[in-house]
Amino acid sequence: MATPIIMPRQGQSVESCIFTEWTKEVGEEVKKGEALFAYETDKASFEQEAEEDGVLLAVFCEEGDEVPVLQTIGVIGQPGENIDEFSAGTAPAADAEVKEEVEEKPAEEKEEVKVVLKEKAEGEKVKISPRAKNLAEKDAVPYESIEGSGPGGRVIERDVKAYEASQPKMSPLAKEVAKAEGLEATGAGSGLAGTVKASDLGTNPVYADDFEIKKMPHIRKLIAKAMHQSLQNSAQLTHHLGADARRLLALRKEVKAKEGAPNITLNDMVCFAVIKALKQFPDVNAHFLGDSVKYFNKVHLGLAVDTDRGLMVPVIKNADDLSITGLCNQFKEVADACRTGSIDPELLSSEAASFTVSNLGNYGVEMFTPVINLPQVAILGVNTIVPRPKDIGDGVYGFVPYMGLSLTYDHQALDGGMATRFVKQVAIEIENLTFDY
Amino acid sequence: MKYDLAIIGAGPGGYVAAERAGAKGLKVVLFEKKELGGVCLNEGCIPTKTLLYGAKIYDSAKSGSKYGVEANDLSFSFDKMMARKNKVVKKLVGGVGMKMKQFKVDVVNDAAMIQQRSAEGIEIEAGGNAYTATNLMICTGSEAFVPPIPGVQGNENILTNREILQLKEQPKSLVIIGGGVIGMEFASFFNSLGTKVTIVEMLDEILTGMDKGQSAMLRQMYAKKGIEFNLSSKVTKVDGTKVTYEKDGKTTEIEGDKILMSVGRKPVTTGFGLENLGVELFKGGIKVDEKMRTNIPNVYAAGDVTGFSLLAHTASREGEVVVNNLSGRPDKMRYNAIPGVVYTNPEISGVGLTEETAKAKGIDYKIAELPMAYAGRFVAENEGGSGSCKVLVGAKYGEVLGVHMIGNPSSEMIYGACMAIEAEMTLKEMEEVVFPHPTVSEIFKETVFSFGH
Repeated sequence: MATPIIMPRQGQSVESCIFTEWTKEVGEEVKKGEALFAYETDKASFEQEAEEDGVLLAVFCEEGDEVPVLQTIGVIGQPGENIDEFSAGTAPAADAEVKEEVEEKPAEEKEEVKVVLKEKAEGEKVKISPRAKNLAEKDAVPYESIEGSGPGGRVIERDVKAYEASQPKMSPLAKEVAKAEGLEATGAGSGLAGTVKASDLGTNPVYADDFEIKKMPHIRKLIAKAMHQSLQNSAQLTHHLGADARRLLALRKEVKAKEGAPNITLNDMVCFAVIKALKQFPDVNAHFLGDSVKYFNKVHLGLAVDTDRGLMVPVIKNADDLSITGLCNQFKEVADACRTGSIDPELLSSEAASFTVSNLGNYGVEMFTPVINLPQVAILGVNTIVPRPKDIGDGVYGFVPYMGLSLTYDHQALDGGMATRFVKQVAIEIENLTFDY
Repeated sequence: MKYDLAIIGAGPGGYVAAERAGAKGLKVVLFEKKELGGVCLNEGCIPTKTLLYGAKIYDSAKSGSKYGVEANDLSFSFDKMMARKNKVVKKLVGGVGMKMKQFKVDVVNDAAMIQQRSAEGIEIEAGGNAYTATNLMICTGSEAFVPPIPGVQGNENILTNREILQLKEQPKSLVIIGGGVIGMEFASFFNSLGTKVTIVEMLDEILTGMDKGQSAMLRQMYAKKGIEFNLSSKVTKVDGTKVTYEKDGKTTEIEGDKILMSVGRKPVTTGFGLENLGVELFKGGIKVDEKMRTNIPNVYAAGDVTGFSLLAHTASREGEVVVNNLSGRPDKMRYNAIPGVVYTNPEISGVGLTEETAKAKGIDYKIAELPMAYAGRFVAENEGGSGSCKVLVGAKYGEVLGVHMIGNPSSEMIYGACMAIEAEMTLKEMEEVVFPHPTVSEIFKETVFSFGH
């Protein structure tokens, strides 16, 4: 015989409960003692077990409905049984046995509900009772970030109330603005007795749409960490020095004019000169390891490349074996690979390079302080070419194009004298550059 | 002995702060070279309200026949009015003194002179005695500003708020230079008593800062009662009892038995050793932050001496902000809900933004205005009277931004609007507040509901 499912009475004062969910679907088999549905009062939430075996034949309410206690909310029985005598809203026959089964003791009214905030995971579905949701939406409570105290971490009304009680008092306008613009009170307010005013919310409502907060891409986080660590864990300083760029410019002109010649850039030439200088300064072509120094026999040159995804520093292994044409081609290759994202991650490791060049000359930068890619001991910043007065003989001064060189080095590994001699050597190599191509 | 707080000046900034600090158990010394109560109690708010009430009763009696009351052979005594004013002032000054005793505030009736700030604290000398305090609050107030117009200096016909309250005889005619709050209240008083009053105002409307429409309404009411208004008029010369002003390039000469100078007030920052501390000034007043701190640690200022609000109730609240912070309750001064009241007959009261300031600030607002006649009690008590209530709310959320009323007794009901603005109430909350019926205050509720109509 089909029997009605009844909304239980929870104590004498409760006249209705909020129905939260059916744990079984219509047509599904139900065993006595299995969870059948859930509901809640303003103080607690409950799960109701099936009181007999059968099949869930019909349901008369859904999530969020406020149902008077003792009302029929569904029917359990055998498939095919006539259930016409039951319908939504009918009260059970007077002789129907009403069990006041209490699954969960309602929380004591005085019991303190602890407010626990959590970080909402991306895409996670928030479990919240309809009653709690109504209140949260009315009062602009960010329920996604409250840890629920209901079954399975479900946020129930008392969690929302506890959250509200834990928050600074908000003025009516502040509540409206918070709800409409998704702002939160961040602390005590500047209004009456510390009330949060609209102007105390995260931002001024007038400018609320002025910014958006985005998660950083992974590469940005890596760069941030590496740069911050570099400045924290080394003793960096920068020496600036200029190199007469007349020869460099002449070579560039020559290469350009020559048909069929590779497009050897100023950067290629500077790097070529840097490699030559590094061969003479093993102390600079090294890694500082705290209690020891790793000297490289070969030059593995890192080159800072600006890409849409952020700064990348690919390395050319054994760069000192390459002709200028080879260097030129390899730079193009790795730079393109960085920009298209096809670069071998191994080549991006700061451990892979023995020294790095960062060239901002193209952008017109006249002087800067590059940040070392640890554990390398130095990095060379290459600046734009500017005319500078120079004694061109017999005390006659003329304007000569000069290329600025900015060497940042780790004073833990190198002393100023060594660093200066090295950057001077780079200048000498630039001023006396020769190559075949 | 060392005090927690020394206060120079016992006006509504100083004596209220002294009372609050004393109640919180701080050891306070209060310096006042004249009477307790400051300008407010002795030559401002209180004496003028006392006189204005006398004039109002006289007005009511004169217009009694409108209400079926005949009062014949009506007369008044200027002497008695002035005497009652003195009695009221004396009573209230005495009351302040009692409060100071109750809260164990040491009152020093001498001019204070700040000596220096030392490791001990702030050192002050008064009446030959030395005082040291951890904190100092400066509440030296303001005095009437007398502009350098030819013929003003040394002219005994020219009065400020101070001298006009000491008049022995009612002047037959009075020229008032400056149609602000002080000018209009004296104009109202003397107009009621039958003095011929002429107002010369430099701006294009009286009562700068109040709602412009309601100020114009008040001006028209008083023009009917016989006050002559000369707006956009600049006084260029005073010669004895003759005042020359220029309007639209035309020069006019008017005469009055007495001339009231009420063009503004200036902070009192000299004569008490402020310079010994190196306190920074701004536009003539002491520069303070939102906690009323000056640039010198442990030195605070409150009231007119800061030079911008010039209202007794602002001064009191500023003093309370100082005391709250000194006694461990974080507090900041807010100026967005400071009411302004003019005790003319009818009174004008306003709080928050006016239409003019909202426009100037570029705030998106909605406005509703209803005649006072919507309130039953106003009709019952103001035969043939008119007035209005204007409410400004934010366009998007409907928060109360400003409320402006002309009509009696708006001064007594404007505080409701202050609370609404302080609490950032919106129209929705206001609609749920119950107002007593029948009262004039219901006009506020009616105007709130008219937004939805």
